[in-house]
Amino acid sequence: MRMFPALSRLRLRHVVIAALVAAVLAGCGSSSSTKTGGGGSSGGSGATNSGGSSSSGGSASASTDTSKCGPKPGVRATGSTISVGAINTKQPGTDFTDIPNMEQAYFNCVNANGGVNGHVVKLIGLTEQTQPAQIAADAKQLLETNHVLGMTGNSSILECTINHAYWEKTGTYVIAAGIAPECYSTPNISNVNMGPRYSSDGAVQYALTQHPSKIVFDQSNVPGTGYIAAGPQALAGAAHVPITQLTENVPIQDANSVALKEVQDAGPNGAVVLNFTPPEALVILQAAQKLGLENRVKLWGCSTPCNTDFLASALGPRWNHKFFVNAELTPPDASNSPTMNLYKAILKQYGSAVTGGIGSFSQMGFTQGEIAVHALESVKGPYTVQSVNTAFHDVKNYDTGMLCQPWTFGPYPLHIPNNTDYTVTPENGKMVIAQGCTAISSVDPQIAEYRKAAGG
Amino acid sequence: MPSWSDFQPFLVTGLSLGGVYALSGVGMVVLFRATGVLNLAFGAVGAMGALIAWQLINKSGTNEWLAFLVCIVFAGVITLAYGMVFGPALAGREPLVKAVATLGLTLVLLGIMDLLWTSSGGASRSIQLPTDSNTFMIGSVQVSLTNVIALVFGLVLTLITGAFLRYTKLGTAMRAMANDREITATLGVPVRRVEATAWFGCGILSGVAGLLLADLVALDATTLTFLVISALAATLIARLRSITVTFFAAVVIGVVNAMITPIQSLTNYRDMTPFVLAVAALLLLSRKREIAVGRQGI
Repeated sequence: MRMFPALSRLRLRHVVIAALVAAVLAGCGSSSSTKTGGGGSSGGSGATNSGGSSSSGGSASASTDTSKCGPKPGVRATGSTISVGAINTKQPGTDFTDIPNMEQAYFNCVNANGGVNGHVVKLIGLTEQTQPAQIAADAKQLLETNHVLGMTGNSSILECTINHAYWEKTGTYVIAAGIAPECYSTPNISNVNMGPRYSSDGAVQYALTQHPSKIVFDQSNVPGTGYIAAGPQALAGAAHVPITQLTENVPIQDANSVALKEVQDAGPNGAVVLNFTPPEALVILQAAQKLGLENRVKLWGCSTPCNTDFLASALGPRWNHKFFVNAELTPPDASNSPTMNLYKAILKQYGSAVTGGIGSFSQMGFTQGEIAVHALESVKGPYTVQSVNTAFHDVKNYDTGMLCQPWTFGPYPLHIPNNTDYTVTPENGKMVIAQGCTAISSVDPQIAEYRKAAGG
Repeated sequence: MPSWSDFQPFLVTGLSLGGVYALSGVGMVVLFRATGVLNLAFGAVGAMGALIAWQLINKSGTNEWLAFLVCIVFAGVITLAYGMVFGPALAGREPLVKAVATLGLTLVLLGIMDLLWTSSGGASRSIQLPTDSNTFMIGSVQVSLTNVIALVFGLVLTLITGAFLRYTKLGTAMRAMANDREITATLGVPVRRVEATAWFGCGILSGVAGLLLADLVALDATTLTFLVISALAATLIARLRSITVTFFAAVVIGVVNAMITPIQSLTNYRDMTPFVLAVAALLLLSRKREIAVGRQGI
């Protein structure tokens, strides 16, 4: 069926060149550099919410009073502005901007209710696309051009790796939601979350309690996979359960094949544990469902990012008590505490830019906001780079209401202050607790080292 | 090395993905033959159509079949509009310029999609076709009706397009234009109308492919936009001439991509499949041509 025999060779050559140009541009497409300010107005920085599909604030108690977030209910802060900065990854397949957007929402609430000792708190957020030079430039811009007084709200694939030496050199103490190894193993960065390694530890630790014959641990093929994999490897090794480590390029383009491979590797009595962002985890789990694979293994697990009602709702009842997700923070559906109600109310009133709604990312942003405000309130005298960083560094045993244990920055060479977690499972479109607060095993050598340093 | 039974499920997923790549590739080849434009916006148009369908179903409560129709019509109209607005201005330019111009449309659509449907860490979207729930077993492999439709649709489309080009007036006109646009015009063929048909048809196919890939792969703007690369590789293997070769090349790309998934040593390199097969085919074809030319010289 050759249709067009008179094709000129010249024409074909040009088209082949065009196709190659397109392929190269396609490769460049995912690394475009766009920066967005954190914004200081109510509701965040103007990011759109039209695509959000979650229960953004929807389950917040209508009666919860957001004025409890500040010292003077209903009185807008009019003092000078305390600027803080954040650097977050935002690229196709990986977007952590819900974290600073929620932190800004918390600050907006505080600003509307008396502020911090009368001052307005403003978060200046920059995004990056996993480019080291760009990440380093972001840090310098925030400190040297924007003149932020402190750093809170960072969440980035590479930021800690690139900038930790800069933070140490400038005496900056960063409150973050970390990912890279340096977020947990350096002296100037402390996190509200466990990060992918310890969260994956938690997911694997729960899976091991169900006595699987094998663990298949699959994660995004991004920098740091070896570091993350070391934790689950240690836990499975200590339990004498074989473990297969897999990585997938993201965005995933063949979810059916990925799901099939995982199930085949795990076997009928095995467990599949995922470490992906919710969109990637969802395509794998939905592919598994379409292929009828959800019951072909003993259980499925996932690290913290999967802890969203959106995922529970999108997956449906076939995954009830079949899919177990590590929860680094208190599960929002299972708690009616004042802190949780305040979080939901702030999300509803001020969180229009938080596209993921209720979930771990927005909880991390809220918790970072709590800690930052708590630290800033302790400052006596003028707000300077030194006073703000000292306040961040000195936070000790602060009860956030969101974590299993009080949060401490601490003068330690490494920081894993959140090392006790929940496990949740979907049930009728919500995530419910499957296992209460449980310490991550010290079989992971990093956990053991931190507990030794912190005197735990 | 996995056993044959381990490979069987991957064959099913590979065939269905290959079928969608095939219909994408056929759409691109037909448009290229009629207008000289390699439409690199094929994936982005389909992605936006699928996202509009998702929006209508999940936010407006629109009937899903109506939403799917809107997706396909949107893709047809936006592609036709591009062809009508920019086609005449680019008609006399080099194919390289024409192809790069469609990248402009790709980037505009990607920007709009990123603005309207943000891909934040907590949110995700998906489209489930009604045919997903119709499943049957082939041995131990569960196959959905969507898998079957993807492959069969690609095959049927290839056959129909082949017959259309060979046996209809419009198809003959398209073939004539592929040879020489100016002479065809002087013979009284309504060139603009023929081109419009090719643009609209290509757009319709991008909408169908967008829906199928949103279901089979993921409803993500970037993923769907750049899945066009697999179809592009198939068209290159067919040297942008034969829709039959495009079909088989697309199926082979889909199957090989899926079948190497369970092989541990190769699995992380499977995204290279379209490039590797395209480069190998082009090298092989050019070598054959050199031999033929050499023999003629002797």
